[in-house]
This record gives sequence, C-alpha cells and structure tokens, in this order.
Amino acid sequence: MDIKELLNEILLKDKAFIHLPFGNGKYDIYESVVVTWIIMAIVLVALLILTHGFKVHNISKRQAAVEAFVVWVRKMVGDMLGEEAAGYTDYIVTVLIFLGVSNMSGLLGFIPPTMDINVTAALALMSIVLVEAAGIHHKGTKGWLKSFIQPMVVVAPMNIMELAIKPLSLCMRLFGNIIGATVIMELLKHVLPFALPVPFSVYFDMFDGLIQAYVFVFLTSLYIKEAVE
Amino acid sequence: MDFTALGAAIAVFTGLGAGLGIGMATSKATDAVARQPEADGKILKLLVLGCALAEATAIYGFVIAIMILFS
Repeated sequence: MDIKELLNEILLKDKAFIHLPFGNGKYDIYESVVVTWIIMAIVLVALLILTHGFKVHNISKRQAAVEAFVVWVRKMVGDMLGEEAAGYTDYIVTVLIFLGVSNMSGLLGFIPPTMDINVTAALALMSIVLVEAAGIHHKGTKGWLKSFIQPMVVVAPMNIMELAIKPLSLCMRLFGNIIGATVIMELLKHVLPFALPVPFSVYFDMFDGLIQAYVFVFLTSLYIKEAVE
Repeated sequence: MDFTALGAAIAVFTGLGAGLGIGMATSKATDAVARQPEADGKILKLLVLGCALAEATAIYGFVIAIMILFS
C-alpha cells in the first residue's frame, strides 16, 4: 500500500541535510537545524524591519502595533509567571515566539523543526535546567533540596521522578502533536491535493501549532512559579 | 501471523481517555462560564492547561503506535 510508503518516507527518511567532512567521517547537519537557521533569519529580519526608526513622539502605526503586541505578550507571560519569577519573562517570550514561528513554518513548506525529537528534547532540557536553577537561585541549595520532601517525606521518590517526567512529557507532547499534524496533513494531501487541505491546514498548522507553543511555555512557567514559591 | 498493526491499534485506544477527559473538562468550563461570565479569562487558562495535560495521554499512545509500526 502506498500510504505505508508515504509514512515511511515522512518518518524514516534520512534527516541529515548537509554532510561536512569531519576527521575521517562526516559531520551531519540535520534538516531541522537548517530550518531553524532559516527561521532565525526570518525572525531577525522581521524584527529589524518592524523596529526600524522608532521615535518617542509622533509614533507611527507600525510602532504602535509592535509596542501593543510586545506589551500584550509580556503581560500574558508575566501573569503566568507571577510576581516572584517575573525576571524569567524574556526567556519565556523568546521560546514562545520561536515555537510559534517554527510550528507554523509548515505553512511556508518547510518541515517544522519541532517535528525532530532532538529539537523538542533540547527545549525540554533547557526548560528543566531553568526550572531547577530558578529553584536553587531563589531558595538556596538547602531550600531546594528541602523542597523534595515537601509536603511529606513519603512523596520524595515522586518528586525526584518528576525531574525526569517533566521534561519527558514536555518533549513528547510537542513532538507528538507536531508529527501527528504533519502526518495527517500529508495523508490529506495524498487523498486530494486540491482545496481539501486548506481548512485542515488552518487548524493543524496555525491553531494547533500556536496552542502547543502556548502550552509548552505555560507549563514551563508553571514549573518555574512552583519552583520559586 | 503478524500482529504489529493490532498492537498499534491497541496503543491508540489511549485516545478514548483523552477524549472523555477533554469533554468533561469542557462541559464543566462551560458551566463555570455560564455561572460567572466575568471569570472567563481564568477559566480559559485552566481549561487549556487541563486539556493539554489530558491530551498528553493520547499523544503518548500515538507516539507509541508509531514506534510499534516503524521500528
């Protein structure tokens, strides 16, 4: 059956995009890394264009829109983090924008970098390191160690297991959602390449991608808030 | 006989729990908004979080089904 071949092609194809000679062998650069570079370039250029020529008085419509957007995003993330952890807003906003753009990069015909499990694993590891670092920073090493036996000593194994479960679930949730959306979109394109994929693309590429980006940063900020309390 | 596809199908049964969970959460959220329309922002936030957590089980099932089929 050719559907199986199609799935094989999506899921099992060689992800290496650029082969650099390195020592005796090759150093592979994955397609997700190359798409991430493209996304970085797009975001940087968009930022340079949007923030060009800002003034204090007589602001242009573009500046007003950008400022409203920045204030809105920072307020949304700041509310999620709470007052004590407000210093982590910038990191969370950065991750939110990166994830939002990369989840929607399927619209431009790229393979979303978040479809590579290595990317989501790296982001989840960054999140958990930040969470624990925030805990150590705010409570001190002793307080951080003490937080493992709260509220009771009995739950200590659960709290230690959470160190591994939190990043695993963050990583798998994002990866599974994006790969599921991409597989369904490829199947739909296979069934009828004309008109049919459009409404589904709006849902799977835009809505689902943005929701997953939001959920990722929401959970990260929830963990940070929990860690600093 | 090859039972690989059957195993994947059983793994996808996790979607049952996720569907029930999200349905219940949404019905309660609708109730809550009908009772207190001014609290809809907070309720939406909690609903999205709950749905994301409930949905995770379905996603795990899906990932495992793919792992069964393609490895």
